[in-house]
Amino acid sequence: MLVRYRTFALLLLSVSFLYGQNTAYKAPRMPDGHPNLNGIYQAVNTANWNLQDHPASAGPMWELGAIGAVPAGKGIVEGNEIPYKPEALAKKKENFKNRRTDDPEAKCYMPGIPRANYMPYPFQIVQTAKDILFVYEYASSNRLVNMGKPMEAPSDTWMGTNNGRWEGDTLVIDVTGLNGLAWFDRAGNFGTDKLHIVERFTRTSPDHLTYTATIEDPSVYTKPWTITMPLYRRVEKDAQLLEFKCVEFAEELLYGKYKKTGGQK
Amino acid sequence: MNVGRPIMAAAGFKPAGLALVLTLTAIQAFGQSAYQPPKLPWGDPDIQGIWPGNMGVPMQRPATFGERTTLTEEEFAKKQEQAKKQAQADAESTAASDTKVGIGPPSYWNERGKPTRQASLIVDPPDGRLPALTPEAEKYRKEARGGKGMPGEWRGKADSWEDLNIYYRCISRGLLGSVIPVVYNNGNQILQVPGYVVFRNEMIHESRVIPLDGRPHVGPDIRMYLGDSRGHWEGNTLVVETTNFTDKDAIGSNGAGYPGDPGYHSGQLKVIERFTRTSAKTIEYRATVDDPKTWTRPWTMLIELEKNDEYQMIEYACHEGNYAMTDILSGARAAEPGAKVLP
Repeated sequence: MLVRYRTFALLLLSVSFLYGQNTAYKAPRMPDGHPNLNGIYQAVNTANWNLQDHPASAGPMWELGAIGAVPAGKGIVEGNEIPYKPEALAKKKENFKNRRTDDPEAKCYMPGIPRANYMPYPFQIVQTAKDILFVYEYASSNRLVNMGKPMEAPSDTWMGTNNGRWEGDTLVIDVTGLNGLAWFDRAGNFGTDKLHIVERFTRTSPDHLTYTATIEDPSVYTKPWTITMPLYRRVEKDAQLLEFKCVEFAEELLYGKYKKTGGQK
Repeated sequence: MNVGRPIMAAAGFKPAGLALVLTLTAIQAFGQSAYQPPKLPWGDPDIQGIWPGNMGVPMQRPATFGERTTLTEEEFAKKQEQAKKQAQADAESTAASDTKVGIGPPSYWNERGKPTRQASLIVDPPDGRLPALTPEAEKYRKEARGGKGMPGEWRGKADSWEDLNIYYRCISRGLLGSVIPVVYNNGNQILQVPGYVVFRNEMIHESRVIPLDGRPHVGPDIRMYLGDSRGHWEGNTLVVETTNFTDKDAIGSNGAGYPGDPGYHSGQLKVIERFTRTSAKTIEYRATVDDPKTWTRPWTMLIELEKNDEYQMIEYACHEGNYAMTDILSGARAAEPGAKVLP
C-alpha cells in the first residue's frame, strides 16, 4: 500500500515537473508576455561532482586533504541510472580514473551543456525581446539561445547550437552541434558529438527555476535519460557575476613539462 | 535634415523648421547626434544588434599627418586601390609557389574591413598618438620580470608561457583589446534588458554584463581583466565607467594589427566608454583611457561600429584549441643544445 502510494506521488511529481506547474505560481511577464527569467542563478547541489547518488569520498588529490574531498550527494538523474552501453560505461570508468588530469574542468575548458548550469559558479540569464543570452562566470563561457527561426549547427562547438522556444511558460532549448569534448561532471560522465539535449527552464517561484535536461546520444546510451534540479536566484543585494578566467590556473598542469626549468613546480 | 526640411516647408512651417535646424545644430555642437534611436519598452535607447569592428584604421597616426584626422581624397583613393588588390589576393585559396611559408591562417580567413577616411583610432591627443609614458611606467616596464620586460609578441624564444602575452595564452584581450578590430572574428553584440546592457565580444568569448542601476563598484581587492563596469544613459549616449582592472593585461596587445607599443596599464586604469547610435546602422564608440600611473595624460580612441545583423558570431574556443602554446614551448625546448624531443 505504502509502495503504491509512493509510486503515485512520484508520478504526480514527475507530471507536475514536466508541465512546470507544481505550484500555482505565475511568473512576472516581459513586455512580450513571456515569463521573465532574467536574473543570476546558481545550482546548490553536488551534481558537478557526480550526477548520480554518491557517498562522501576522498578527492583525486590527497595533498588537499579534506578541502579536496567529495561531499555526499543525492543524484539528479531520474531513476539514478545512466543507460550507458557497455563500452561507454568502460570509458566512463576510465575517465573517472584519470579525472585529476583529464577532466576538462581541470584544464579550464568550456563546460558544455548541461554542465555549465550546475558548476559551482553563478550564471546570468539575459532575456531580451529577441534572443536569450546565458552568461556563465566559469571560464567566461556563454551561449546565445536563438529564439527565431531554428538554425542548423554551423560547426561543432563546446557550448552547442541553441535553438529556443516557449512551451507555455517553459523555455525549451534544443541543443545540437556539441563537440562532445566536455564532461558532465568530475566523475567522468560523458557524451559524444552525437549528443542531442533538450533543456527546460521554468520559473517556479520568485527565486527558483526548475531545470530539466533530456540527454540523448545513441552512440553511448541505450535510451534517453533526464536530469532535474532547482536553480536558485542569487538574492543578495547587488549580486553580480565576477571573473573566473581560469586559464592561468591550468597552465602548469597543461604546459608544465614544456617549461625551461622542466616539470611540475 | 535634408529630408526633413522640404516636408516642413511643404507643410508651411518654415519658422518651426528653422528652429528645428538650429536646435539640431546646437545639439550636434555638443557632440550629441541628431539621430533619434528607437526606444525600448522601458525607455532606454535601443542599441541592440551585432556591430562588428572595422579593420584597417591604424591605432596611432603616422607622425607626418600632424593634427590631420582624416585622409585626403588622394590618400583615400590609394587606400581603396590597395583594399581592392588585397581582396583579390585574399580570394586565392592556394598560395603562389614563391610565397614564404608562414604560420598564419589562409588569407581568405582575414577580415580586412572597409576603407574609411579615419586616420587613426586615437583621436586625442590631437596628434593621434599615445601620450608619453610616466617615468614610473618606463622604469616598471624596463625592470619587469627581472629585466626581461613585459611579455609581448613571440620572437622565437620562450622559457615559459609567461613569456607570451595574454592573447597568446588565450586568457583575454582585456576590455579595449576585445573591441579593437584585429585579423578576424571581430564580432561585437549588444543586448539590453531592464537594468543591464551586455557587451559581448566574439574573440575569446567575453560577455560584459553592465548594471545601469547606479550601484557602487566592487571593493578594491577584486581585480578583473575586463574590470568592473557601471553604466548610465546621458541622453542617447550610453556611458560606461570601468575600474578594478588587473595590471596584467595591455590595451591593443592583440598579437595582430597593432605591433609596437603593447599598452600595458596599471591597476589604476579607469576607462570611460561612450556608445552613441548615430544612425540606424552606426554606433560611434569612444573610449577614454585614464591611467595617471602609466600615461602622462588621458587619451581617447574612436571606433566606428557598423551594424551587420547578417554577421554570425561563432564560438571562439581559444584556450581549448591553443596548440600554438604547446608547439611554441616544446619547439623552444627542442631547439636547446642537447635537447631530447618531448612527446
